[in-house]
Amino acid sequence: MTAYIIRRILYTVPIVFGVLLLTFVLFTLVGGDISIEIAGKGATQETIDEIREEYGLNKPLFLSWDSQFVNHFKNALTFNFGRARDREPVIDKIKRGVGPSLALTVPMFFGVVIISVSLSLIIAFVHGTVWDILVVVICVAGMSIPYLSFILFGQYFLAYRWGLFPVFFSPELTMAQYVALPVLIGIAAGIGGNLRFFRTVMLDEMRSDYVRTAFAKGLTVRRVLFKHVLKNAMIPIITRVVLAIPFLFLGSLLLERFFGIPGLGYLMVEAINSRDYFVISAMTYISAILFVVFNLITDICYSLVDPRISLE
Amino acid sequence: MVLHHVLSSRIEGLDPGNMRDIYSIIVASQIFEPLYQYHFLKRPYQLVPLLAEDMPQISDDLLTYTIKIKKGVYFQDDPCFQVGKPRELKAEDFVYAIKRVANIKYLSQNWSMFDNKIVGLDEFREYTKTCKSEVDIDYSRQVQGLTTPDDYTLVIRLKKPWPQLCMALADIATAPVAKEAVDYYGRDIVSHPVGTGPFRLNVWHRGSYIELVRNPAFRGELYPSRGEPGDAEAGYLDDAGKTIPFADRVLWTIIEERQPAWLLFLQGKVDATVIPKDNFDEVMGGVGELTPAMKQRNIHLKTFRDPSTYWLGFNMQDPVLGKNKPLRRAISCAIDREKFIELFFNNRHLIAHGLIPPVMPSYGTEIKEKGYAQYDPEKAKELLKEAEKIHGGKLPAFKMALPGTNTWYRQFGQFLKRNLNAIALEVEMEYMDRPTYLEKVNTKSIQMFTSGSSASTPDAQDFLAMFYSRYHAPGPNKFNYCNPEFDKLYEKAQVMLDSPEKRRLYRKMELIVLEDCPAAFLNHRVAYVLHHDWYKNYKPHAFAYGLSKYRRIDMAKRTAYKN
Repeated sequence: MTAYIIRRILYTVPIVFGVLLLTFVLFTLVGGDISIEIAGKGATQETIDEIREEYGLNKPLFLSWDSQFVNHFKNALTFNFGRARDREPVIDKIKRGVGPSLALTVPMFFGVVIISVSLSLIIAFVHGTVWDILVVVICVAGMSIPYLSFILFGQYFLAYRWGLFPVFFSPELTMAQYVALPVLIGIAAGIGGNLRFFRTVMLDEMRSDYVRTAFAKGLTVRRVLFKHVLKNAMIPIITRVVLAIPFLFLGSLLLERFFGIPGLGYLMVEAINSRDYFVISAMTYISAILFVVFNLITDICYSLVDPRISLE
Repeated sequence: MVLHHVLSSRIEGLDPGNMRDIYSIIVASQIFEPLYQYHFLKRPYQLVPLLAEDMPQISDDLLTYTIKIKKGVYFQDDPCFQVGKPRELKAEDFVYAIKRVANIKYLSQNWSMFDNKIVGLDEFREYTKTCKSEVDIDYSRQVQGLTTPDDYTLVIRLKKPWPQLCMALADIATAPVAKEAVDYYGRDIVSHPVGTGPFRLNVWHRGSYIELVRNPAFRGELYPSRGEPGDAEAGYLDDAGKTIPFADRVLWTIIEERQPAWLLFLQGKVDATVIPKDNFDEVMGGVGELTPAMKQRNIHLKTFRDPSTYWLGFNMQDPVLGKNKPLRRAISCAIDREKFIELFFNNRHLIAHGLIPPVMPSYGTEIKEKGYAQYDPEKAKELLKEAEKIHGGKLPAFKMALPGTNTWYRQFGQFLKRNLNAIALEVEMEYMDRPTYLEKVNTKSIQMFTSGSSASTPDAQDFLAMFYSRYHAPGPNKFNYCNPEFDKLYEKAQVMLDSPEKRRLYRKMELIVLEDCPAAFLNHRVAYVLHHDWYKNYKPHAFAYGLSKYRRIDMAKRTAYKN
């Protein structure tokens, strides 16, 4: 397994290189010159030139040890992301945004996974009954309603009309108070797709021979579901669940925007809108690394839950 | 007493020398003060001293301004100063602030304000180019046109008359900055504002909220005792002569989405708000009238004309558009401005009959009668035939750049396309991000573009400068328009003090532009603001931002509403 892990870590190098190259190409070759925008209205050419020098935009793009791409690559490897366009260090922005983002996405993630997996097991057991049909209908409806509708509805009725939650972030509120409604909305909006997926996985398992054997041997429903079915359904569950973890770091753009949660989703979109290349580059790089790491964790988890899989 | 405000975008920084985004200016204007300010109540807009003792003494040749500075003004307490020793404001702080803007390494967006205006300042800028970095710059280096005979006197010497200087000295870019603060905080000065104003920064949670608290070192200022007719009846003089600020804290929450801002306003957690487009019918029951539901909540409506103009511009160096006046006029005639304002702004904006906004003193009401903004598709078709003759055949398809890719810009693009297609003119809309758009406009590589501008002073010179031939792109003249007669008038008016003659020249220049049609002017913005009954002294102002000091909350009314 050690050899496998080392090999996978080595695979990270070309992936990270590819990500860095792609972000660089997208924002320097495809996009416009940001120096004109930074210079502001009525700026002289000399100011624009000075900005180009300050941001290193007058250096060659590639093919030089001091080229823009080599500097971009070096800075990423040393986690020196520089300063954002508003002159605040990028790393400070990221550190500040991680807490609120995770406060929102982690409970949402666990809520969705726990509710979806538990319900899917129950639904798989009562497959074909009116309860099953009802859940499928609710799942499809939940998947069809746009995410934004959940937010607008929740904010208007639960917060404004019924006063159960605050409408928006306020400095006087505790984190638990201002993330409660967005978490609830996130769970409600996310449960449909996940429950439908896990239900399909569980039903596939329920149709297996070993389940019939287990029931024939007189095992209890709880033992069959939780000891055998759940364990065998773990591979697709792990794939879906573990690979979703890196995205928790990226926060939730819409929820953060509508509820004023100063997280990383909000930061990323702000950076894209204002073409803050330094923030985008840092976020993309960190996301790529997290994605590679969690891919590796997924593979290790496979071998832990299924002894037939060996990491060679 | 806390003022609860909303900002619809995050702020970029609180360093007055290098800010141009309106949200940063709104917040920073409560912390920093320039030499002059616009009178809160009087209209037409009038400059009055703020940190200056009086209005400047101007020499007969209009080249030397002597300004006395108030004594006993102190910067807020800050670790950058000697502990326990209040730091008094000196004339040298103003000199430093202006030199800082001139420093090319500082990359200030405000340099164009001073470019080629003050004796010796351009040479100082040249000197800064020779320095390796910002820290190497010697600010003690003399600038001939910026001197301080004593601690409380500032003398500014100009290269040529600059009648807008006092307006520039009311701009936050010229607010005094303590050198100790810049040296102490370095590049982090953007988040450590140290000013002389009525409030000081308490918390700035970037992207979330900003909280200012009353500055204990503030010298105190009195609420104006005079305004314009009708102010007393409107309650704007109820606090006349009282010491300001009234509020202890000012809280801005950054809310980019309209729904939460609107719901918070209805809950009474925000004092004032603009009317979201989607809630317009819920709020407005008729022309200038609120619905009974809004009146029942004791919500008040304030409308005011914004000093802004928006247009569809033509690149006059384009070989087809630039040489074909009938074509440009045909495009202008083909745009249904009334429908545009109805569709996109709930009929709130005004049709732009010219380039000078109606709020400016130089606006001429007769411009409306000239008919340059008239929607006339038949006339447009006639003009198009003439244009084809000049072109020597069928006109090609044109390209129009729009500085955004979101739904609003796509709808706007569709609207313009439909208007032009209606007169059989083909146009391809190019939606792009702002830097790409700016690059294309600045490199003169686009045929048509949509844009707009908002004035920061009551002088219309900024609008007219956009048509002066020496300011071609990347300068303010993005149209690359050139008319020697216009240039001559512009140069003449540029050095004149405000007078009926100067305003007459402005209007003459405007007519020249309208006749040549380097742009089809579309609309002037009109702001609609709602505020609660408890939010007192809310008189809209087109040019001043440091107004939180005048606001007062009737706490009993606020509590009653919430209950």
